[in-house]
Amino acid sequence: MEKNCFKSKIWISVVALLVAMPIFVVAFSWALPEHELWAHFSENILSDLISSTLILLLGVGVGVTLLGTVLAYLVVMVEFPGRKWLEWALFLPFAIPAYVLAFVYLGVFDYSGYAQVWMRETLGIPGFDIRAGSWAIILTFVLVFYPYVYMMTRASFKRQKINMIEAGRLLGVSPIRVFFKVSLPLARPAAAAGLLVTLMETLADFGVVSLFNYDTFTTAIYSAWGDFRSIEVAAQLASLLVLMAFFLIYFEKKARGQAKYYSANVANKKPYHATGVKGWLISLFVFGVFMLSFAMPMLQLVVWGYSSVADEWSAKYIDLIASTSILTITAALITVALATILALPRRCKQTSIWLKSVIRLATLGYALPGSVMAVGLLYGINQISIINIHFGGESINHIIYGSIALLLFAYVSRFMAIAYSSIEASAQQIKPVFTQSARLLGASRMRLIWQVYLPMMTPGILAGGLLVAVDVMKELPATYLLRPFGWDTLAIQTYELSAEGLFERAAIPALIMVVFGALLMSVFQVLDKKSSRST
Amino acid sequence: MNIKTLVSSTVMFSILTVSSITAVQAAIDELVTVYSSRKEHLIKPLFEAFTKDTGIKVEYLTGKGGALIERLKLEGTNTKADMFMTVDAGNLWYAGSQDLFQGVQTDTLKSNIPAYLRDPQGLWTGLSVRARTIVYNTDRVQSEELSTYADLATDKWAGRLCLRTSKKVYTKSLVSSLIHHHGKDKTADIVKGWINNLAATPNAKDSHVMSAILSGQCDVGLVNTYYYGRLMDKKPNSPLKLFWANQNTTGVHVNVSGAGVTKHASNAKAAIQLLEWLSSAKAQAIYGSLNKEYPANQNIASDDVVSAWGSFKQDDMNLAQAGILQADAVKLMQIQGYR
Amino acid sequence: MLSVNNLSVNFGEQEVLSNFNLDLKQGEIFALLGKSGSGKSTALRFIAGLEQANNGSVEIDGVQLSVDGEHSVQPELREIGMVFQDYALFPHMNIEKNISFGINHLSKSAQRKQVLELLAMIGLEGSEDKYPHQLSGGEQQRVSLARALAPEPKILLMDEPFSSLDKSHKDHLVLQVRQILKKTNTTSILVTHDKDEANSLADKVGIIQNKQLTIN
Repeated sequence: MEKNCFKSKIWISVVALLVAMPIFVVAFSWALPEHELWAHFSENILSDLISSTLILLLGVGVGVTLLGTVLAYLVVMVEFPGRKWLEWALFLPFAIPAYVLAFVYLGVFDYSGYAQVWMRETLGIPGFDIRAGSWAIILTFVLVFYPYVYMMTRASFKRQKINMIEAGRLLGVSPIRVFFKVSLPLARPAAAAGLLVTLMETLADFGVVSLFNYDTFTTAIYSAWGDFRSIEVAAQLASLLVLMAFFLIYFEKKARGQAKYYSANVANKKPYHATGVKGWLISLFVFGVFMLSFAMPMLQLVVWGYSSVADEWSAKYIDLIASTSILTITAALITVALATILALPRRCKQTSIWLKSVIRLATLGYALPGSVMAVGLLYGINQISIINIHFGGESINHIIYGSIALLLFAYVSRFMAIAYSSIEASAQQIKPVFTQSARLLGASRMRLIWQVYLPMMTPGILAGGLLVAVDVMKELPATYLLRPFGWDTLAIQTYELSAEGLFERAAIPALIMVVFGALLMSVFQVLDKKSSRST
Repeated sequence: MNIKTLVSSTVMFSILTVSSITAVQAAIDELVTVYSSRKEHLIKPLFEAFTKDTGIKVEYLTGKGGALIERLKLEGTNTKADMFMTVDAGNLWYAGSQDLFQGVQTDTLKSNIPAYLRDPQGLWTGLSVRARTIVYNTDRVQSEELSTYADLATDKWAGRLCLRTSKKVYTKSLVSSLIHHHGKDKTADIVKGWINNLAATPNAKDSHVMSAILSGQCDVGLVNTYYYGRLMDKKPNSPLKLFWANQNTTGVHVNVSGAGVTKHASNAKAAIQLLEWLSSAKAQAIYGSLNKEYPANQNIASDDVVSAWGSFKQDDMNLAQAGILQADAVKLMQIQGYR
Repeated sequence: MLSVNNLSVNFGEQEVLSNFNLDLKQGEIFALLGKSGSGKSTALRFIAGLEQANNGSVEIDGVQLSVDGEHSVQPELREIGMVFQDYALFPHMNIEKNISFGINHLSKSAQRKQVLELLAMIGLEGSEDKYPHQLSGGEQQRVSLARALAPEPKILLMDEPFSSLDKSHKDHLVLQVRQILKKTNTTSILVTHDKDEANSLADKVGIIQNKQLTIN
């Protein structure tokens, strides 16, 4: 069996280790211990930060899993009014950067926001501080990140054979019990994968938590770096974050267990029909989620944008759009190409522990906050220069720093997990029998890869590429630190304007981003439909 | 989908992009390169005016202060930056302490900018002055009730105070100045009192602090004056007023935005020329008014709007102290639980 | 033409098949019967070079392919065709591309000619542009057979090829396959657990019982 596997271990290892470079830099920071600052942190803030981070992870985890799975189940298994377009529309929040959404929510729902003003003045309900406690930030994260779980469980529900549901019904079991006893257990691996991505994003987030002024582990990283100027302690703290991500991945694998992917006749028929009041209630719920997570923030952006378009719009935007597109497309293509190389061995039943570990390492960058990733890269390059100089060579800093290559490297390192998980899922669906029949028909290894593996992985490759593209477009901290002269992006423009309180003007670049993101998500939808038709 | 075409075009595309970027634009015109944590829309008009006056082009890269300092450190002698421009004296001091600046002390700078707004060794020069003071809701607070920063920690403000997050550098510098004047123990008491008086979780932005005050969530807060200016510009009838703090004691806490010529500048001469130009009467008039700040050049009157807020006594603490005491200030705030 | 000598198969520690010997003449169709877990599929896959065995050697037309349980010739070079239980048609290729996958060394026109001939033989004329999921199970299995036969393999191996079809389709298809194999004079081995199927397809039937192969 082993003979059937793609064995360029060296190549795969080189790619994986390169992508994982920032992780190593972060880990090596332990070589320079700094006791004094650690004493202050552990004495005064660390225990609070750890508990607030865990509360956030727990709340967001439960929230996205519930919301994402229920929504996916409803659109796949139940026919209700408006289902068709809502199924598509629920993907759209993915196009809105998390910090933009948080910003709009605060503007609307905080004490001074119009929702609360209206509540106080019309309903007489006393106002409250929504940033107190953690429920509001948890809700925000849930509304930002539920599309991950929705996307993955939806695909999984679609693969579930309709007759399994029907069998459940014929045994006289209620739809809710069928959901918990049949559908949900089968969708568990997909939900776990979506959950993992969500939790890693939450761990790495800085924008939303700083707007809510909610302290998480990232807060300590930024404090070590920004306040105490200790890049070492910042890196040490970041390595703990990576460790946490590692455990999350471990638990996800456990949760996935022996579950297999079900590739089966895709049912276009819905097992349940919700008519009358029930149907409309379901519609109202799903539509409500869509309103809150996309339509309402979008409307706010349009209102802001409308009032400022004359001040803000200029030829400069052509430039911004061009650099954003170039970075987005290039980063997505490179990430996907490398992720494909890394995912190829996943077809095999047995991969060596070494390969498994290096590939895992290559996907951990997703848990690093963007700016830690960026500084990690700068330090990594600097170390290479120092070694180079030590052996009589020259510093490579001036070639690498401020080059687009470094920025692309950061994107690839950071978003590898997204591309990889999507491509890995499709690689796992290549059954060994395809390899065997191709080999018996005399196909060479190259032919096997180009004509069998890659085409069969295409849906995963395309989906991964689009998701990475949307993420790169929204990325702020690494871009802000690493971009070369003249490569300002829409995300940077949004940040710079909103940081100065010019929200109306910031709405313009934000809107352009959302529109592009929505376009990309539509492409994703079309491809998704195509691929589900052909399997 | 033909994967072969896809992959090969990827490779081609990335090679092309990378090579086109590394090919440095031929410098036909004289060029000054600036790293700036001051946002683009505040510096671009100035640089354009400078280019018009002198023919020297200005190239700039914006970013967060701390991150740009890190980048400058790592770029070392190979940096493209001739000038580093940032806000907050703490940041300027830190960049100076990391040996990123060269001393520049020309007669023009000395005559344009008063000594207390410049680094003693000329490493950096303040270019605008911003005051951080008390803002209050005129419907709920009489100006007679207000006095000092420390007073906001007393019981009468319980549940009436809004503050910006301790993570913002302006807060850190203010608390540094409190440590400078009152010592650590007294400052810890003040910060603790503030926290007890808070009506809401500290806000992310000064503008949020003012919205909270306007909406009745709290009555008083601390803001940089230019944020107040921007708000009043948009909503002129807001019941909001500035109060100059500590007038009978140490004076209003002020801070600067400023710039220095980098140690490894490849075009130091032009960078110095830019710095001098920025301190000139003409540039200072634009520099301050773009952002409703106070000019650093004392020969220039403030913008009309800014002047209307009244004159006040400034804290004369040497601004380098804000940088030296910053780590202590942060520790103190973290211990007191100031988020 | 094919000779398998002294093949033995272990599942874990337990030996399930020992001293398996088989000789086939050109064009002969052999069916191998046995319960699941009897090692019959492993024997077949060993002949294909896809799986290792404890011991055993394989020789085709006097050329040693495997010696002492080790494969000296890789599956790609064995000129062995195989039909799998679940067809293993490439889902992203149409029928024509599937069938011509193993004969891409021929010119385009020669490939096309052979595909059309094979389609006519399996009774699926006009299906060349269809995709596997558009065909029924029996049709997919016939395409799978055509794909395996296209490179004119020295030996055709069939691993439970009819097991996922219903009875009425199966009987018809078994006869059809026998006609095709006879027409092309292809030496074949069928692995199955169905006695009727074995008897109607094969010239010679062997059964594995108590680790031993008995040929009647």
